[in-house]
Amino acid sequence: MKAKNSASGAVVTMERTFNAPLKLVWEAWIDPQHISQWWGPQGMETTILSHDFKVGGTWKYSMQMPDGNAFISEGIYQEIVTFEKIITSADFKPMTQGVELQMLFESLGEETKFTFKVIHASEAYRIEQEKMGIYNGWGSVFDRLATFLSA
Amino acid sequence: MRRDIFQAIADPVRREIIEIVSEERLTVNEIADRFDISRPAISKHLKILEECDTIVIRQEGRTRFCEIKAESLIPASLWLDQYRKLWEDRLDSFEQYLLELKSKKEKDES
Repeated sequence: MKAKNSASGAVVTMERTFNAPLKLVWEAWIDPQHISQWWGPQGMETTILSHDFKVGGTWKYSMQMPDGNAFISEGIYQEIVTFEKIITSADFKPMTQGVELQMLFESLGEETKFTFKVIHASEAYRIEQEKMGIYNGWGSVFDRLATFLSA
Repeated sequence: MRRDIFQAIADPVRREIIEIVSEERLTVNEIADRFDISRPAISKHLKILEECDTIVIRQEGRTRFCEIKAESLIPASLWLDQYRKLWEDRLDSFEQYLLELKSKKEKDES
């Protein structure tokens, strides 16, 4: 398995180098007009319900599924350092709640290094969620999403 | 004996079966070929995985195919892989959009 759990909890880290200068990467990432174009995979329609790009500001996006259901993603910005760093809380209803997203930007001239971390709550929280039977609730969501993505 | 995902992943052979079946749909024979242990032993593991609702075995003509039931893996911490996939897809989507945006800007400037 590629993703391992460490004792410190569950962190998913992804690194990309984008072939575009930092300023453009930053704009594409934070401008709601741009976000609505890429947030949903394969052009799935995304509606920006709110986007208050400041510390303490909330963001809320809705992804419309063909079956009429919507995925709501929302969070509150915790830290913003222009051209450098964004940290936000995030809830993805109904799949998972209380994760932290960290996005780090670094200029490499014409390219931009981008580090993306999803920090899941502590291991204890995760186990608790398992006990609560996330099975049923989450399984069907992933199913729907997987079906949609492979269509 | 309880039959759940924790039972399914309790054995290293079963973990390996889950891993290979989650990557592609295989026949029972193809799975058995990948292990050094006996076919009856593999069959027993497959039966447990099926009872744990982790895989489905479908009979198609003379062939039996194994398919993973991806949602059953979510509680067993393997769900991180699912998340990774979702985020990878989103970053792909971002990258593609970003490059379109970049070439559009370059066109506007020239």
